[in-house]
Amino acid sequence: MARMKFICDAERCIECNGCVTACKNEHDVPWGVNRRRVVTLNDGIVGAERSISVACMHCSDAPCQAVCPVNCFYKTEDGVVLHDKDLCIGCGYCFYACPFGAPQFPQAGAFGLRGKMDKCTFCAGGPEKDGSKAEIEKYGRNRLSEGKLPACAEMCSTKALLAGDGDVLSDIYRERVMRRGRGGDLWGHATAYGRADSKPAGAALPTAPAAAQPAAQKS
Amino acid sequence: MKHNSLILIGVAATLLAACGEQPQTITAKPGQSAAKADDKPFGAGTQYADRASWERQLRARADNQNEYKRVN
Repeated sequence: MARMKFICDAERCIECNGCVTACKNEHDVPWGVNRRRVVTLNDGIVGAERSISVACMHCSDAPCQAVCPVNCFYKTEDGVVLHDKDLCIGCGYCFYACPFGAPQFPQAGAFGLRGKMDKCTFCAGGPEKDGSKAEIEKYGRNRLSEGKLPACAEMCSTKALLAGDGDVLSDIYRERVMRRGRGGDLWGHATAYGRADSKPAGAALPTAPAAAQPAAQKS
Repeated sequence: MKHNSLILIGVAATLLAACGEQPQTITAKPGQSAAKADDKPFGAGTQYADRASWERQLRARADNQNEYKRVN
């Protein structure tokens, strides 16, 4: 059984925003909602600048799913985290829980009214009939049911953003790191999918640092 | 007479106001998704007969992201 994942290779991302555009175009995402975006760290510092493409990572132990008061989230057999917009009440809890800032809320109404949550679906649509008008209107296209991978990854010109079965991605990335000899760290990977030698992210919370001992008073 | 019937209609409308309301109770149980059942991308009425053929297609597609295999 496949386990769908995203990985973004910061050594390769050139901040072209092709993934963002591909996603917007594929799903007709409304103004103000960005299912995917490119974040640049150390901007302008020569040699230290890195960009990463960020969206819902479809976490192994999804925090959004844990905090949703109406339980509108579900996970497919292939590890894709999706939600039912008919149930979503737009409370925003998922936004605060998500370590990647993935949940988006359209604010088209008056007084900053918050609509139903929208996020990356791994191009897998939602709980409507595959390829139906309702699914396209609510969640965007369902490329996975057509045997295609997410548009953002398939459109990536440098193949910095990879999507698909975790095993295949690991093989691709391993070969890449071995050939270039550096850049083995994947930003957000441990947060989303946990480390190989530990429980999934969220299962083991970090312990609070020990309280600082008060300095001995000098007499 | 007309006045009385108007009052009667008003009282009836007030008393029956709640009858048209939709239930808003969430039936979800903790730790269990309340979302509708989602279609599987394979099986009857889809492009792929079974899970294996669908996964094979996705695997081939994911493998194509490895440009070392494509170029070299």
